[in-house]
Amino acid sequence: MLLHHLTVPATEFRDGTGWDAKPEGMCKGDVCVPVPGASAADGMLDVGRVADRLGMALEEDPAAGVWALGPESGGHALTTAVAPELELPDVDGNPFRLSAMHGRKVLLVAWASW
Amino acid sequence: MWQALHEEIDPLGATVVTVALDVDPAKARPWIERASPTHPSLVDVEHRVDDLFGISNVPMAVWIDESGTLVRPAEAASIRPSPYAAIEITDRMPARMQQVLAEMRNLPDTGEAYRAAILDWARHGADSRFALAPDAVIAASRPRPIEHSRAAACFELGRHAHERGDDDAAIGWWKRAHALFPENWTYKRQAWTLVSTPEGADSDKAQEVQDVYGTSWSDEFLAVGGAGYTVTPDL
Repeated sequence: MLLHHLTVPATEFRDGTGWDAKPEGMCKGDVCVPVPGASAADGMLDVGRVADRLGMALEEDPAAGVWALGPESGGHALTTAVAPELELPDVDGNPFRLSAMHGRKVLLVAWASW
Repeated sequence: MWQALHEEIDPLGATVVTVALDVDPAKARPWIERASPTHPSLVDVEHRVDDLFGISNVPMAVWIDESGTLVRPAEAASIRPSPYAAIEITDRMPARMQQVLAEMRNLPDTGEAYRAAILDWARHGADSRFALAPDAVIAASRPRPIEHSRAAACFELGRHAHERGDDDAAIGWWKRAHALFPENWTYKRQAWTLVSTPEGADSDKAQEVQDVYGTSWSDEFLAVGGAGYTVTPDL
C-alpha cells in the first residue's frame, strides 16, 4: 500500500490492507490484534504503531516523498481464511468488488502478460 | 482457457475471476480482448493479490466459497497436462534450450488433477475433499517472514517510480524486492519483462536481463529447477 502520510483515515487503511480499526483492535476477518494508541477519535490511524504490531514493513522513498507498507508478517501468507474485500478495475477501469460474488464459488486466478 | 472452464463451472454455481498482474494494463489488454471473457476479468497493477492471498507466480489461484471463505490457498493453477514431456530435445538445439526444456519436465504436472479438483468442488462444494477447513487453509499457505513484507513494500515503491517514468529508481527498488523474496516470481518476471521487451512488441518471455539485473529467466529457472518454480497443489 502506497502512503503519502503516516497518519491515514482508518477506512483508507482498511481498503488498502484488509485490516479494519475496531474497538477490540485491528481486525482482519475473524482475527483481532489489540494495538493500543493506534486509533484516534477522528477516525485517523497511526500507521507506524499498526505496522510495528502486525509486522508490516514500512519502506520510505525520500526522493519521491512516499512510503510503502507491506502486508502483515511473522506467520503465514494467510492470517485468516476469511477472504478480504478486494476492489480492482477491469481493463477499461470499471471497478469490481470481490464481495459481489457472495453466494457463488470463486476460482480467483492470477495470470500476466509476461 | 479460463473462459472455457468458466462456462463449464458457471451452471454449477462457480465463477472464474481472472486477475492480470501487469503494472502496465495496456500489456494485458490484447490477451483479454482475444479471450472475450464473460467472467470478471480484472487488472492488478500493484500485485495486491500477492499481499492478500500469497500469490507468488503465475498462473496461481485461490478458491473462495459462497460465504467468502478461502478453502484452498495460493497454488499453481495449470489446468492442462504439461506439454513438455512431449517435446523432443535434440542435439541441434542450443545447449541452454536443451537444459531449460529438460528442467521443464520437472515442473509439477498437476494440470489434469487440478482441473478435476475444481470440477469436484464446483459440484460438491464443502463436501468436496479438496475444499479445506479454515485452519488447514491458513496452515497450507506459505510462511511469511518480515523480509517478504519488506519485498512487497519495495516492489510497490518500484511500481510507483515506474508509473512516474523514473525507471532507474524503479529498477533499484525492484532489485531489493528480488533479493528479499527470491521465491516471488511475480516481482522478478514483471520487472525483467519491462527491460527485455522491445517497444511495441509482445511481452518477452526469455528475459535476458544480464545488463540490468545481472541475471536472466533461464539462469534463475535452472537454479531453482522445475520443482521449485511454483507452489505445487497438494491434492
